[in-house]
Amino acid sequence: MNESGEAMEVDLARGSVEREAGEIGRLIVELPGNHRPSAAESPVVFDVRDLSVWYGPFRAIREVTLPIYQRQITALIGPSGCGKTTMLRCFNRMNDLIPAARVEGTILYHGVDLYEREVDPVEVRRRIGMVFQKPNPFPKSIYENVAFGPKIAGFKGNLDDLVERSLEKAALWDEVKGKLKDSGMTLSGGQQQRLCIARAIAVEPDVILMDEPCSSLDPVATLRIEELMQELVSEYTIVIVTHNMQQAARVSDRTAFLTVDVREDGQRTGILVEYDFTDKIFRNPSDGRTEDYVTGRFG
Amino acid sequence: MQTARHRFHEELEWLQTEMVTLADLAERAVSDAFESILHRDAQLADRVIAGDDEVDAHYLEVERRVFDLLARQTPVASDLRLVTAVLHINLHLERVADMGVNIAKIAKVTMGWPSNETVLLHLQEMADVAGTMLRTAIEAFVRRDLKLCRALPRMDDPVDRLNRGMYREVAALASDARMLEWGIHMNVVSRQLERVADHAVDIGEQVAFLLTGVFQEFSDASHPTGEI
Repeated sequence: MNESGEAMEVDLARGSVEREAGEIGRLIVELPGNHRPSAAESPVVFDVRDLSVWYGPFRAIREVTLPIYQRQITALIGPSGCGKTTMLRCFNRMNDLIPAARVEGTILYHGVDLYEREVDPVEVRRRIGMVFQKPNPFPKSIYENVAFGPKIAGFKGNLDDLVERSLEKAALWDEVKGKLKDSGMTLSGGQQQRLCIARAIAVEPDVILMDEPCSSLDPVATLRIEELMQELVSEYTIVIVTHNMQQAARVSDRTAFLTVDVREDGQRTGILVEYDFTDKIFRNPSDGRTEDYVTGRFG
Repeated sequence: MQTARHRFHEELEWLQTEMVTLADLAERAVSDAFESILHRDAQLADRVIAGDDEVDAHYLEVERRVFDLLARQTPVASDLRLVTAVLHINLHLERVADMGVNIAKIAKVTMGWPSNETVLLHLQEMADVAGTMLRTAIEAFVRRDLKLCRALPRMDDPVDRLNRGMYREVAALASDARMLEWGIHMNVVSRQLERVADHAVDIGEQVAFLLTGVFQEFSDASHPTGEI
């Protein structure tokens, strides 16, 4: 991650971690300095256009268009079944792993179509990490949990330093530095989730996707993760799915509200209702459906 | 529509009903207080003063329940705007009722003193307009009527004009020391009535905020259009 504001090259070409000119998917990304940019200045990381996702004959989301801005926290909220997790999983092509899943429309990642044939999903997932609902550390030591990803990716630097740096960034270092050889499974739920965040950070991603990362944590552990997100956003773009509207209100810069649209023939599909700055969504939303949802008049 | 937070929304309904009740009590306090001046009715003045305990009880209960709602229900969007508007309107109405008490106390002090018909007529006009403005502000709140809110500053103009002219009318009473003393007290009454009208405008501003999400002062005291 370049903190000096210099241009960084991004290359999503299949099977390639080299940075050679002329390959499909190569582009230049201007990274601003190490500060949270104001909303107006922030570049677009994902440009989602007319995105529909199908699971077999069932359309989970319909024609969603929205930009995700760099080094901001974007929250996706909405009732169960509105497609917010489906949408999140599109950002790092996790839906590819579901056989009947099909994506229509485009997601441009720094201008590159994520679903182009030449784009390597493994490289996508390295750049766009994910933290899941339930902490899922590997049944390995704390050290190995963090070191595993970089090793696989052929990391050649000082692994100890990388592990320490990642654990520090995940606000876990002080709690585990004396027991790095202990199993990751011995940690508390909140610590395990921070370990998973450290694991995601270790491969130096650009974006961190979080799918209800606090839903299995107690309120204190939840607040620690929220604090951590506020720190991480100075370096990473974060997209979070949450059922907890107050969490979206507390942590995010922008909020997208999705809902379930039921057609006359009974077909249900997720649609984007409103996308705006979070304070606008929670103070004075433009759409009555958002208003009804955030005030609890719907559901 | 199906309501997921039934008890919360019932509480919001209660707050709105309470604003209507409090507005009624506050408006009556001012009009009765002024009646007690007009008709030299000490008993009526006493009732206004004693009635303030009831106003305060409503005011405190609304404060308590708003605080509770904020702590436990974390309202958002129009609910949040409603709760903050209620918090302000509650305070405005309590202050209006206090002004009724102030006028009632002046009524008791000036009970046997000589008076001037012109001053009383002008005060009567101010009291009528201020009362109408208060009712209009609350009607705007109940009906969620932005046009009514925006009519309030214009309604306030004659009240301001009469208040500004009051000191001249009082100065004209200077030849009679007792009358002058009465007049000086009536100047305070004039000021109280002018403040009641200002509170009505402020309530209108809160209702406009509730409806639009944008807070805007209808008039700016630091940049008045008229003379002082």
